[in-house]
Amino acid sequence: MSLSTLPDAELVRRCKAGDEDAWNELVARFSRYVYAICTRGFRLSDTDAEDVFQELFARVYTNLHTLRDDAAVRPWIAQLTRRLCIDTLAKGERERPDAEPLPDAHGNDLAEIDEAFEVREAVATLSDTCQEMLDRFFARDQSYRTISEELELPAGTIASRIARCLGKLRIELEGRNQPPPGSRE
Amino acid sequence: MVARCSPTTWAEAAGVSAQALAIRDRAAQLARTDADAWHAALEALADSGDEGGADRRNHELERKLDLAAAAPLEIAQLAADLAELAAAAAERCEGSFRADAAAAAALAAGAARAAAHLVEVNLTVRVGDERLTKARASHQAASESADRVLTVLE
Repeated sequence: MSLSTLPDAELVRRCKAGDEDAWNELVARFSRYVYAICTRGFRLSDTDAEDVFQELFARVYTNLHTLRDDAAVRPWIAQLTRRLCIDTLAKGERERPDAEPLPDAHGNDLAEIDEAFEVREAVATLSDTCQEMLDRFFARDQSYRTISEELELPAGTIASRIARCLGKLRIELEGRNQPPPGSRE
Repeated sequence: MVARCSPTTWAEAAGVSAQALAIRDRAAQLARTDADAWHAALEALADSGDEGGADRRNHELERKLDLAAAAPLEIAQLAADLAELAAAAAERCEGSFRADAAAAAALAAGAARAAAHLVEVNLTVRVGDERLTKARASHQAASESADRVLTVLE
């Protein structure tokens, strides 16, 4: 199994064991997530987001051994990122006394970011063909005709193929959100 | 609506419903883009009679008319997708909703026709223009989807 397909918990376990490649994968896996929280959740400037990014991964590197549940690395990173973003905004307030008050916690935005990344990860588990079809239709806004021509598939089958890929995506997402066996939920 | 009402009899219903929602969102966005582009083109047309800087104004007018043709072309293509999706729904959904799906396909074909016409009458679109070819192809595809399902229901 390549590093990019390792579950979060196994990746964290390898990081804790000092695997350099696992660290690189951890940064690669969560960098877009962290950046999205900074820029979309807290509306930080690119410069401030970059500062938070650097500080965040420095802290993750230093404190990862304190994480008790390796599988909980995502919410842990999210929490650290939120704290750093709030600190950055508060620091800006102190330096500019006439600035606008701090924005409310963008709860909906943060929930949307989490959901978007969950969907993204689930999409990555689908076949290449499904990933391609969903990306072309939903992300690149391509028409059935364009998809049909570029993938050399019969035009009348595109909608049905996309529907089947969405069905597989739904199963994948529902599987992720099932309570673990033995759970009281 | 048709797909959402047929979840037990049609395995792909949820996937078709999701695509319909995506098309609806895109259509709303394109309608705004189309209106903005058309207003900008009208203003450029009104300004084109002013004296001085004719070359610059003509260039600006052509650019805005190009943009005014781009939006209806995208609408025509989107309408063709919608007609195809509605036709697929009509063929597979619960019987009591087939007529609604067929009506949606017919409406989408009408939208494709109207959008293709808007591309055709744009002043920058000439005979043999690729945009016109694409718009007409979208209208043709939408009409065929609607006809296919209406024929089945007759």
